[in-house]
Amino acid sequence: MAQVAAQKPVFAPWDDPKQAPLIQFKNVTKRFGDFVAIDDMTIDIYEREFFALLGPSGCGKTTMMRMLAGFERPTEGQILLGGQDIDAIPPNKRSVNMMFQSYALFPHLSVWENIAFGLKRQKLPKEQIDERVNEMLRLTRLSKFAKRKPHQISGGQRQRVALARSLARAPKLLLLDEPLGALDKKLRQETQFELMDIQEKTGTTFVIVTHDQEEAMTVASRVAVMDEGVMVQVDTPAKIYEAPNSVYVADFIGDVNIIEGRAKQISDQVNIAWAEGQPSIFKGPFWISHILATYRPTMSGCHQVKPSRRRPLIRGVYRAEISLGKTKCGCHSRQPLASA
Amino acid sequence: MRRLSWFNATSLSLGFAFLYLPMIILIIYSFNASKLVTVWAGFSTKWYGELFRNEAFLDAAWVTIRVAIMSSTFATILGTMAAYVLVRAGRFYGRTLFSGMIYAPLVMPEVITGLSLLLLFIGIGLDRGVVTIVLAHTTFSMCYVSVVVSSRLVTFDRSLEEAAQDLGCTPMESFRLVTLPIIAPAVLSGWLLAFTLSLDDLVIASFASGPSSTTLPIKIYSAVRLGVSPEINALSTIMIGIVTIGVVTASIMTKRAAVKQMRDEQAAERAGE
Repeated sequence: MAQVAAQKPVFAPWDDPKQAPLIQFKNVTKRFGDFVAIDDMTIDIYEREFFALLGPSGCGKTTMMRMLAGFERPTEGQILLGGQDIDAIPPNKRSVNMMFQSYALFPHLSVWENIAFGLKRQKLPKEQIDERVNEMLRLTRLSKFAKRKPHQISGGQRQRVALARSLARAPKLLLLDEPLGALDKKLRQETQFELMDIQEKTGTTFVIVTHDQEEAMTVASRVAVMDEGVMVQVDTPAKIYEAPNSVYVADFIGDVNIIEGRAKQISDQVNIAWAEGQPSIFKGPFWISHILATYRPTMSGCHQVKPSRRRPLIRGVYRAEISLGKTKCGCHSRQPLASA
Repeated sequence: MRRLSWFNATSLSLGFAFLYLPMIILIIYSFNASKLVTVWAGFSTKWYGELFRNEAFLDAAWVTIRVAIMSSTFATILGTMAAYVLVRAGRFYGRTLFSGMIYAPLVMPEVITGLSLLLLFIGIGLDRGVVTIVLAHTTFSMCYVSVVVSSRLVTFDRSLEEAAQDLGCTPMESFRLVTLPIIAPAVLSGWLLAFTLSLDDLVIASFASGPSSTTLPIKIYSAVRLGVSPEINALSTIMIGIVTIGVVTASIMTKRAAVKQMRDEQAAERAGE
């Protein structure tokens, strides 16, 4: 999960005040009747970013994406793309393309014609269209299937056609709505890396909507965790994982142990008294919220017998061992044994 | 194949006899040599010959076909537009009323539709003829088209239109390039439905037609009032033949398309594994 993000080269335009953001949401609110889908949202997304919108269904992530594509208009506030207010621009005039959750491939057109569809609308000369379509077919390894209709290819291939079609017009911004939702787990993991590869090759800004936290952590340069129309935390996957700013984020991303206690600041450390008769926990201040501390199972070392030298941080009841990918040991110790 | 039980076989043949016996008798008697409809006097095709020499029948047939083609085309255009708006425009003010009203002619007694149209034509001083029959048939068959097309549009994946617009289509282009080709089978079957409705309509046509132009059903009806002639049997047999060929062709085509699609999808799944 977090390992992949940690290996990425340093790319952090959001920390650089000189960088101009590609997309700016300025106090955007979207209401459907009484329902507030997006609540006063302000966020900057930068060029070449792979930005993930993560959250449970109904949290407003799809609405945000549809506003960027032009299918919904904000009730209040402004959305800027490259510094320009895009509210009045219809979807067909925006240099934004979208890959739909259902792929939305045109069933009456071949793979080739599907990819060429957007280019033909641009009234490009035929040779240029041919060249671009073939380039896209090569990029997505679909050259063999150019003449097939969408129902004559497999799910994974359809997903690649949808990607090729949305990339063909070389948009400034590509929106991906649950792009891997319909694929099985193995194919999904392969495709995640393919997506990252393509994003790097084309240098396009990607905004991806997903409810799969693992997917967001793998592919994204930054992840926005959303809840009920609000962005709870926007940060790099590593920071979201290691230093969640709320219980909601901590709980949403991966497995977590949540310990409740009283926190006391002692110089630059925080002392948490969490159970009667148990030693307090000392930790660096940055990942401690006031009364709730979280730690990841992957960070904990579990010992069945008392280790000789190190002082145990928390003693608990050994409940189950769960393999979490590369990390062998995950230990749930929510229930402290007061008299252990 | 399982053998039918005695009871099932009987009820099946009774049912089909009930449906098709009258038509079979009609077809048999169209080849009767005798002029008397109820007396069999040997096989002959002379009534078919007579039929093709009968100017009045041929004129009526020509009027009927022209009316059917024109009215079903207009009805398809109007019906598709109505269906598109009612399915797509969301909940605009008065939508329920409109969608109720578009289906009302389906249950309206034809006599009333015919009479009201007659009053309208007289009121605006339109001479009754081919034009008025076309107008009348368009009016009552467009709601059938709209029912067929809207049932297809309800299951139409709307993201296809959004994808088209996302890729640079204006709403009009996305309808022409994406929606229409995909719903074309429903539009075509709406057209065929309107065509057959117009072809065999008697009641409304008799209100809207004038002395100069008569459709085939009116002609047959008035001829039968003077006594059934074997010529009419021959004419009816031809009509049954045309309808049968149409229905059988359409169902074979649908079946083949479905089988082909299924085979393609299975092939795709194997290729994807």
